[in-house]
Amino acid sequence: MDLVVRIAGAAGQGVQTLGDILARSLFRRGLYVHGELSYHSRIRGGENAFTLRIGDVPVAATARDADLLLALNEEMLNLYRPHLRAGGRVVADGGVKDDAVTSVPAVRLAREELGLPIAAGVVLLGAVVRLLGLDPGIVADEVRDAFGEKAEPNLRALALGHEQVRGEVGRLPPPQFGRGEKMLLTGGQAVGAGALAAGCRFLSSYPMTPGTPVMEYLARHAAEYGIVVEQAEDEIAAINMALGASYGGARSMVTTSGGGFALMVEGLSLAGMIETPVVIHLGQRPGPATGLPTRTGQENLLFALHAGHGEFPRYLAAPTGPEDAFYLTMRAFELAEEYQIPAIILTDQFLVDSYQVVPALDPARIALRSHVLTADELGRMGQYDRFALTPTGVSPRALPGVSNKLVLVDSDEHDTSGRITEDLAIRKAMVEKRLRKGDGLRGEVSPPEIYPAGLFRGKRVLLGWGSTYGAIREAVEILGEEYAHLHLRELCPLRTEELERVWDEADEVVLVEGTATGQMGKLIAAETGLRPRRFVPRYDGRPFTAQEIVEEVRG
Amino acid sequence: MNAEQYLADVEIAWCPGCGNFQIREALAQALSSLGLPPHRVVLVTGIGQAAKIVHYLNVNGFNGLHGRTIAAAAGLKLARPDLTVIAESGDGDLYGEGGNHLLHNIRRNVDLTVIAHDNRVYGLTKGQASPTAPVGYRTRAQPFGSLSSPLNPLALAVALGAPFVAQSFSGEVERTGQLIAEAIRHKGFSLVNVLHPCPSWNRVQNFAWYQERLDHLEEGGHDKRDRMKALAVALRGGERIPIGVLYEEERPTFEEQHPVLSGGPVGLRPLPRPEEIQRLVALFS
Repeated sequence: MDLVVRIAGAAGQGVQTLGDILARSLFRRGLYVHGELSYHSRIRGGENAFTLRIGDVPVAATARDADLLLALNEEMLNLYRPHLRAGGRVVADGGVKDDAVTSVPAVRLAREELGLPIAAGVVLLGAVVRLLGLDPGIVADEVRDAFGEKAEPNLRALALGHEQVRGEVGRLPPPQFGRGEKMLLTGGQAVGAGALAAGCRFLSSYPMTPGTPVMEYLARHAAEYGIVVEQAEDEIAAINMALGASYGGARSMVTTSGGGFALMVEGLSLAGMIETPVVIHLGQRPGPATGLPTRTGQENLLFALHAGHGEFPRYLAAPTGPEDAFYLTMRAFELAEEYQIPAIILTDQFLVDSYQVVPALDPARIALRSHVLTADELGRMGQYDRFALTPTGVSPRALPGVSNKLVLVDSDEHDTSGRITEDLAIRKAMVEKRLRKGDGLRGEVSPPEIYPAGLFRGKRVLLGWGSTYGAIREAVEILGEEYAHLHLRELCPLRTEELERVWDEADEVVLVEGTATGQMGKLIAAETGLRPRRFVPRYDGRPFTAQEIVEEVRG
Repeated sequence: MNAEQYLADVEIAWCPGCGNFQIREALAQALSSLGLPPHRVVLVTGIGQAAKIVHYLNVNGFNGLHGRTIAAAAGLKLARPDLTVIAESGDGDLYGEGGNHLLHNIRRNVDLTVIAHDNRVYGLTKGQASPTAPVGYRTRAQPFGSLSSPLNPLALAVALGAPFVAQSFSGEVERTGQLIAEAIRHKGFSLVNVLHPCPSWNRVQNFAWYQERLDHLEEGGHDKRDRMKALAVALRGGERIPIGVLYEEERPTFEEQHPVLSGGPVGLRPLPRPEEIQRLVALFS
């Protein structure tokens, strides 16, 4: 069972609100959904589309073609009419173009019956709800939530639309889960919630799509959970403020996209040098430069890996979906604190903005531990050296002002006490100390996901990382037994044992990546000498769909 | 603690005769006069000759990036309002590379004390014109003389609404120490621009040059509560260099107005318990 509803309109017509209401209603009804938001970089006009896939099993990818199109204007009708599946229907206002279009006089009803022209979208939504056979009571609850004080006319709009049509498109399956068993959230919300769950106390950032939803999420919960969220004057300030706060003991984070991250790079290197933890959420969008601000891609992999002058360890993880984003963000905070390093969460617009139904999140799954010395521990120490040389490279970390021990960190090369030095023997010891932390970190990295489990002999393996997970998995299911799926989520340090085994066994490895140049292929080649034989690229700013991967792979 | 005890017993890499020595002494005197325990003070510096001061004093230190001094200091202060945070660096760092952070932290009005070592040149990179260098100032990098008009940090700070703006001359160690102490005591963003000679690179604005031009504002009955008069002093030009507090006003700091910070420093709060977070994630179900 796979039903796709697409809501399309101009910015300002309420595509996102209507999409949220429908996604939440279907979730309440006990169905799996995946909702993808695609939009132009503007506040009014342009093209916004919310593509909602509904399933009786978990859905983790978007689709190109829809069964039901809610077109909020004629332009969207013409644009998306070709992307209708066989037997699909369009719900739109105005002239009937063909048999597939069900016309609903939404604007007239909204104006004449409600005196609220903007409610035309909700009228059309009412018609869609009828065609889906969805209980209008569930939708009404979500309309109340979404509109608050302005709910009344919108509830009437929903009912008016519901009366306008007959019949159904597809049949909704019975509920698959009960209340509380599952959760519905976007990747951006998941990163924000993961940060909160990990004890994030400070976020400084400059607004940039698609990094901003994480800042907004934390800002919304800042007062209740005790977090300082500050909009910085620029991204350079953002990361330096975060490092100042982290030095002071606050688990700190920044959120940005490629261009903002570029400005943070010197600060990233500072984090490496002063061994001060910071978590960077890097939501990718296509570049170079400003690129396509509201679209998706995976072009920042090698940039995120190599950014920063000098040599220092870092942690880099690319979540596969919202559930993964929650746990990996928690883990990034823990590893950043434990190893006193910068940790990067690499997402993209598709992941940040897409809704998905996931198993109920369990914050207890990632154990939290304080990694700083207490006043008592410091009191028992004689001399305190912030950068004491240790076998693991990790020096016990004190915060300033909690005991009479002074804490000195320096962006210059420094001795164990943090004082600037040009003693080249100390320099050498400090380089080795910092890099030793990377050895420990390497041992923490989980193996890549291999599907189906077992041997890959004779198989063609689709290789991906990050948010392409759902589309690749679905493609492998369609392609059949000859195919397998290898997926990476923790990318630095890179575990190579499993990769070597896969290359050894498989007939061929096909890289599927949202770039034009195959960056993961270059990374694996650099680390192992192995290269994917084929490459399925995507760099038009749109997310992968299973159907398109299958077409490419089959050639 | 007496002032001597704040001075670290380490080899100092400044040039002989540099005003930085005097500023170091003045800062030690200020900390001593305020009775601040070294471990309750964090000196945040950037990069440059002035920024090395963090290594020459016995207090906590964050020696960050060139230009980012005020940004790092602001982040630290927001996480730890319980600490005394001083941002100190040279004119190139604070007024050149870090200009944007200066502008916006004056707006933020975080309780920071910014001490600018203003010698009108870049010392560590061998004598290029700094943002405060006079027009026509010739260096190897500016062979035709500096064509840009110098930045006026005092006028800029007063115009943007900084609630404490002062200037001193490093040769007057005691007075500089007093001004720094006043700035630290002041709640909110405080700027102390400390003029000092650079014996290695700036042969024109030397010790004697400054000494002849100092105009001590408090002796002339300057009203430091009058913003327009402060601006007039900052902009007046000419041969007389204003020394003392140009402007001072009390207004609420960022920290005082921030609802989260009234609950204690976020840098010292415990980790959340899973049950607290359960409430948060339940919003997704």
